[in-house]
Parts: sequence; C-alpha cells; structure tokens
Amino acid sequence: MSARAESRCPSDLRLEAHLLDAERSGLGPHLEGCPGCRARLEEMRRQGEEFRRFVYPATVEAVVERSRPRPWWKAWPVLVPVPALAAAAAVFLLVGPERPPGDYVGTKGGVALAVYAATPAGARLLADGAEVPANAALRFQVRPARPCRLWLVAVDAAGKVSRLYPAGGDGGAELTGPGALPGGAVLDGRAGPERIYAVCTPAPIPFSEVERAARAAAGGGEAAVRSAGALPGLPADASQETLLLEKRP
Amino acid sequence: MSYGSEEAALDEREKAARLYATYGPAVYRRCLRLLGDREASGDATQEVFVKLLGDIGRLEDRETVLPWIYRVATNHCLNLRRNARRRGEEALDEALEAAPHAHAAGLPERQLAQKVLSRFDAQTQAVAVGVIVDGMEHEEVAEVLGISRRTVSRKLDRFLRNARKFLDRSDS
Repeated sequence: MSARAESRCPSDLRLEAHLLDAERSGLGPHLEGCPGCRARLEEMRRQGEEFRRFVYPATVEAVVERSRPRPWWKAWPVLVPVPALAAAAAVFLLVGPERPPGDYVGTKGGVALAVYAATPAGARLLADGAEVPANAALRFQVRPARPCRLWLVAVDAAGKVSRLYPAGGDGGAELTGPGALPGGAVLDGRAGPERIYAVCTPAPIPFSEVERAARAAAGGGEAAVRSAGALPGLPADASQETLLLEKRP
Repeated sequence: MSYGSEEAALDEREKAARLYATYGPAVYRRCLRLLGDREASGDATQEVFVKLLGDIGRLEDRETVLPWIYRVATNHCLNLRRNARRRGEEALDEALEAAPHAHAAGLPERQLAQKVLSRFDAQTQAVAVGVIVDGMEHEEVAEVLGISRRTVSRKLDRFLRNARKFLDRSDS
C-alpha cells in the first residue's frame, strides 16, 4: 500500500526535516505531486549549498571559538568556597600516606583534590557521591603535599577508564605545587555512577598501570563503581583518593 | 566520554564545527526567509549558532532540535528587523511575503509589513510570522514557540483584528 499524499503543503520547518532525513519526513508522496513544494525544496537546497560554500568557511572558526567556555579563571571568578562550607561538604579529598596540611579536610594525607561542576550560578564544589548533570563540565584543583607525578582518571560502569589529566605523555604530570589543572572534563551524557581517581607517585608510572588498577577496582558495573575503594597494585609510596559522581539525565 | 583537557577541548571544537555544518543551513535559510539579505543572514546565522552552541546537548538531540533552532533563529531575526526599523534602516524593513496557503484572513494583502508587525509583542510577532509567512499549522507554531495551541489561536486572532484596524486607519 502506498502512503497517501497530504493535501496541504508542508511548512518550511517540515521541509527542513525532510532535508535532514527524507525517509522519516513522510513528505515523499506530497512532494511527488506538488511542483510548488518541489521548487521550494530545490530553492532550499540551493541556499544550503550557498551556506556550505560561502558562509560556513568564513564563519566556522569564529563560531567555534566564541562558543567555547571561557577559561575557568574568568568564567568562575570565585572558585574557593567559604572555609566553613568547604569543611562541612568535605570538599577536598586528601590522598596518600602523608599527613594532610592543617587547613585540609579529611583524615588521609598526600594530595588534595577539589572537583567543581559548572552551573548557571557558578562553580559548584562537589562532595563524594554528588549528583551532577550527565553532561556536566568539571574542573579540578589539586594540592600536593610534596612534588609528585599525577594521574587523574575516571572509570564508569562499563569499565571504561578515561584519562582526565594529563592528556598526553606517559608518566603522569609533574606536580610541584597547588593549582587548578588546565582545561577540564566534560561528562559523556550517560546517566550512572562515575568514579574519579587521583593518583600521585614520587616516580613516574605509565598510564596503563593506573588504567589496569582502575578497571580492577571499579570496572564491574554500577555497584562496583559505587563501592570501589583504593586502586590495587600501585607502588607502595603512591598516594591516591577517589570521588564518586552520580550522573543524572 | 569526552574527557581530558586538551583532548576534550579538541573534541568539543570538532563537535561544534560538525553541528554547525549539519544545522547551519537550516539557520541560514530561516534567516534568509526573515531578513531577505544574504550578508545580514550570514551574520545572523553566526550569532544564532553561537547561542545554540551554548546548549550543545540540546543541539545533539535530533528529535527535538529543529523546532528549537527555528525558535531561536526566528526570535533573533525578528529582533534584528525590529531594531533596524527603530533605527530607520530600510535594508531589513521589507515586507514578508505570506505563504501561498497561509490562513491570513483579515489582512488586505498577502504580505506582512514590518510597520504592522512592530506594533505587537515579540511572541505575537512570532505567531503571526509562523502562521502567515511560514504557513504553519497552529499545532506546529505552538510546538516551535513552546506555547499552547490555544495561545497561538488567541494571539493570532488579536493580531489579525488589530492589524486590520491599523491598516484601515492608515488607509483613511
């Protein structure tokens, strides 16, 4: 049975849908019998070609550049929370075997990690288990108690280990003092738990070692991500800590 | 997952450029329809897309993206037309041609002059343009503007009634 043609001419919006996906638009039968709509569609195609040939090449760089998030130090002028709130929220995760500096929250020592999510109201400091939009943009602040090599990774319920920092190299980023890590991370949009690990070692270790440990610790489904503890099999002098995020649609 | 600092930034740039290539033509065509000027439409497309990329997740939802793109582009271009008229610029002050099958009872001509449009609030203008210029069904206009069909009917009735009065006064 052939589809019945609609008698009314479709709007430009429906023709746009047809240009994106002709099969799903359902407009084929109408277009076959309507020279006026076919002419309009042809005109729209010509205009699309005009965009691709002239407008896109001249504007794409500017569009992409202007759409980028502003650097965190401009977009998020107040990153440091009120100390009392920070303490209450257990914002800094302290990692490693050393004693934490006096102004840190927590019971373990080593490297302090603060994770922030971008919100319309500004940066929100995340506590362990915090719920965040599944496509949230994150920033990280790290404060080592001593110079070390840092790996920041995340593992999800599918066992996928993502390298957050550093993006390149294979020994971890050299960390000599406190500061915000360059760039950031954008969550993948899929709901579910995600666990972030900060690993700090006096000597470089390859990413594959951290990846393997993260997968072993938390890569066995949602329950494993939520209940995972320290990464196994790392050098004895490694400092580490973890933060759980619950990504919500 | 788009993670990592430099890698994530590169991914985001590529994604933005890809979305611009996919949906930029629809924005450009919408702007051409409402502005009628290639240069102004190219500029407007750029501005509209920067706004759209501010909510990139929504831009990636193929099921709902087109009505949203249409709304943002329509509002932006109608705003440009309003501003141009206020400044006395003629370039964007051309009348908008009504769609051949549009329901435009009450209007003496098959075109919508900016001097008539600009007497109404932004949402009423968008309703009038959707029905009269684009020839959309009321349901379609309601979906694009994120309002009820009843509101579309009410605003359109008010627009046609008052536009008729205004044009009668202008004629006499």
